[in-house]
Amino acid sequence: MKYAKVYFDDVKVGDELPPLVKGPIQQIQLTRYAGASGDFNPIHQDDEFARAAGMGGVFAHGMLSMGFVAQAVTDWAGAGAVRKLGVRFAGLVRLKDTVTCRGRVLATSRHAGAGLVDLEIWAENQRGEKVVTGKATVALPARG
Amino acid sequence: MPIQINKGMIGKESPPFVVTVERGKIKEFARAIGDDNPAYLDDRVGQASEWGDIIAPPTFMTTFRDGADSAAFLRELGTDISRLLHGEQEFELHRPIRPGETFVCRSRVVDIYEKTGRSGPMAFVARETAVTDRANEIVAVIRHITVIRL
Repeated sequence: MKYAKVYFDDVKVGDELPPLVKGPIQQIQLTRYAGASGDFNPIHQDDEFARAAGMGGVFAHGMLSMGFVAQAVTDWAGAGAVRKLGVRFAGLVRLKDTVTCRGRVLATSRHAGAGLVDLEIWAENQRGEKVVTGKATVALPARG
Repeated sequence: MPIQINKGMIGKESPPFVVTVERGKIKEFARAIGDDNPAYLDDRVGQASEWGDIIAPPTFMTTFRDGADSAAFLRELGTDISRLLHGEQEFELHRPIRPGETFVCRSRVVDIYEKTGRSGPMAFVARETAVTDRANEIVAVIRHITVIRL
């Protein structure tokens, strides 16, 4: 069930997040993300510009892919649960690509009453190539 | 002939800038990602939540920009927008943020270094932005690495 509540007590190292599939990426989404984020770099909008810049054509904002990964984390942990989210942009996401976001529990700990869960997170394209890799920390409620 | 990046920018602090979070902007941002979580989109769900209002998605602070300053910043670095790639990004979030809140953002260049990768020589510009609220409490630290193709 989407947005089911996850409790700290029920989380184990090695648990996997439900995969989140986004895309296929369309130009209109990149245009929409440019407007929403304020990143109007023409390299994400104008194919001619992107080719002239040596990038072989338009590609998605890294921050859009990070937004997808963040969604995979909050769909599981809950909105507002993220304490830290850090990624490296490992590959370009192109038009028509499908991006699958995944995550796995690396560690659990308790700090000042909060249950903290460290996650390994990544996103891969339809060829299984990693386009985003990173880590996240979320705070989860205790049961009862 | 590779371009030269101005390493004298290391340590440089940009003038602080102020942002106020708009309700519509949070929703526009969540929808642009295709994230339909009601905690971002539904005012009634927000009001009934522990935060008393909708909150912003984890990457929302990417919208905190000092628009007027970015072209000048790139010029001072010695590059332009066509050479930029996003290398890394990190958000350390101390609490969720809500519509109507006003924050001060202070950015500085932490480091600039060069490396040669598969696609040739590149410069890495590491920046850190501290976001504080009206009570001068730290709300977030944002770390970003911009890659410049030389």
